[in-house]
Amino acid sequence: MRSVPKLIRRYIGILMLSCVLLVILNIILLAVFVANQTPNASPWKTAEEVAKTLKLADNGEYELPDSIALELKNSNVWAIYIDNGTKQVIWKTDNLPKTIPILYTLSDIASLTRGYIEGYPTFTGEAENGLVVLGYPKDSFWKHMWPSWDYYFIANLPKTVLTVFVINAALIFIIYMAANSKLIRSIRPIVNGIQSLPTGEPVYVKEKGLLSELAMNINKTSEILQSQKDQLRRKETARANWIAGVSHDIRTPLSMVMGYAGQLKDDPHITQDARQKAKVIVKQSERIKNLINDLNLASKLEYNMQPINSKRENLIAIVRQVVVDFINMDIDNTHPIEWETDESLTVYPVNVDKTLIKRAVSNLIQNCINHNEQGCKIYVSVAVDNGKCTVTVADDGTGVTDEQIEKLNNAPHYMFCDENTTEQRHGLGLLIVKQIAAVHGGTTVIEHSPYGGFSVKLTLPCCE
Amino acid sequence: MDFEYLKNKRLLIVDDEQALLDMVVSILKEEGFKDIVTAKTVKEALALADSFQPELAILDVMLPDGNGFSLMEQLKNKGEYPILILTARGEDEDKFKGFGLGADDYIVKPFLPKELIFRIMAILRRSYKGENPLIKLQNCEIDFDRAEVIKNGEHIPLTAKEYDILTVLYRNAGRIVTIDSLCEAAWGDNPFGYENSLMAHIRRIREKIELNPSRPVSLVTVKGLGYKLIIGRK
Repeated sequence: MRSVPKLIRRYIGILMLSCVLLVILNIILLAVFVANQTPNASPWKTAEEVAKTLKLADNGEYELPDSIALELKNSNVWAIYIDNGTKQVIWKTDNLPKTIPILYTLSDIASLTRGYIEGYPTFTGEAENGLVVLGYPKDSFWKHMWPSWDYYFIANLPKTVLTVFVINAALIFIIYMAANSKLIRSIRPIVNGIQSLPTGEPVYVKEKGLLSELAMNINKTSEILQSQKDQLRRKETARANWIAGVSHDIRTPLSMVMGYAGQLKDDPHITQDARQKAKVIVKQSERIKNLINDLNLASKLEYNMQPINSKRENLIAIVRQVVVDFINMDIDNTHPIEWETDESLTVYPVNVDKTLIKRAVSNLIQNCINHNEQGCKIYVSVAVDNGKCTVTVADDGTGVTDEQIEKLNNAPHYMFCDENTTEQRHGLGLLIVKQIAAVHGGTTVIEHSPYGGFSVKLTLPCCE
Repeated sequence: MDFEYLKNKRLLIVDDEQALLDMVVSILKEEGFKDIVTAKTVKEALALADSFQPELAILDVMLPDGNGFSLMEQLKNKGEYPILILTARGEDEDKFKGFGLGADDYIVKPFLPKELIFRIMAILRRSYKGENPLIKLQNCEIDFDRAEVIKNGEHIPLTAKEYDILTVLYRNAGRIVTIDSLCEAAWGDNPFGYENSLMAHIRRIREKIELNPSRPVSLVTVKGLGYKLIIGRK
């Protein structure tokens, strides 16, 4: 829901900005408009000019300079000159309409100063002994007849304008917020719904209001996701159960194969040759047994059905126990194990599932044994570096090629490969080690052993 | 080794599959066990428990008329003898359940005859050690009942910790026991960091059981891993 307040803030910002820009734009437009009007607003000046240039000529007549007279004529403007003493028109232009009186009273003067004579807008200019009056064509100017304002109105004008502006802005804000909050109220459940979809939990949004269609779609999506999840889960469970069931059912018959073959291989009453054959049966049965165990665990780890019980454990003790179990079992001493861990390193706490780590290390040792039937030396060590601990299991056996190492490190296992593959990449033993490393946040690296054979490094993060 | 007396123990084996029973019996007979009875159901097993009075029971978990875990509880009520679970169920939860209910060991099928024999002998040795009080070592004898070592006719008492450590080593005689298992046996669940103490105790045990403690022949060190008790005399 964090995105919604952000969205609202941004929109309010944009709204406020548009208001301010609108006002500025209006002021600019007004200014431009008024500036364009200014030339027309100059009749008072023209009147002044006429008054100033109107001179008494030598012949006792008043005369205007030709240029101004021409200008007046072109603009269709008439002019009269009223004497201060007699209030009579003592000079006039030729185009003076007949209806204009030639005698004026004081009230006439006051009226024409403010307004019109016979509908002609008039403008006055003060001359030496009288008043010059210019008459512009009808409807060319609009004159304010009552040109007075309350003093405080003008004095407070800036404040008033500002107040009005603020009130306007507040009003817009309130309208916007009211409209918005309604929208937000209807959006909120939708947003919540969409945000809970990726969590995988079932989502239900009430299907009403403006956005009911969206809500319906979210509910439908959630239902589809749930049913897909269920189906996938069921399939995975069925697959893991199937593998668990098969491996369980194989155990009892295999016990008998192993049991009798185990007896025969040490039976002094049969020939050496037959004992050798029994030995092979035992060995191969053990491989089947390991395969069953691995298959079961690999499928459980892959489908997250293996409970991980992580606890603070001493990694050294775990690895030591596995090594000792192998040494105790290896009666013929065909695969001796060297403990290469630094003697001062006796306790190293890690947060792991002990059973799984034991399994991973035994798989690595078993791997060395399986691939070197003629016997080999196995080197096991635990080392700590940079907050990580590495268990290395290496041997001096036959080893593998660079190409195989590349494949073991990077190619997906056939068990979880979604393309058809006829190529058997590697057994389950190493896959499980990789899976176990992964569930503990660790890594595995497969490489050539410094002793000449094969080596696997299992690195686990250290306990805080 | 002086364990022949353990092979006279009465064994009860319960499994629903006749072929498997036959095989286990054949393995045990070959090893020298003489007194073995088998049962295929819980009912038979309970009847035999009364008439036969077994000294060790080997139980399967899945039986036609019940399960091995509840059978184990009923057998425990009838008498004090060790029980080994032998099952195709290899899940950790099953193992924990088995041990939680008091099983002495838990073997997952399939198994090798060698493994079965070793586990049975280990359980019997642990459960019936009192009947064979003197354990012979190269240069002395250990009397676990009286917690003492008899060397050259001299009786040397063992401390509690030495006794615990020797018990674990004896139970796994001939096999390596890790430093950590020994620490756990002596100091309990949180055995971190007791290694130096363990070394001190091992030294004192050697002084008691070896002729030359700096060149041990019975309690030998496996470098970096643990110790091994070698019993019997050459």
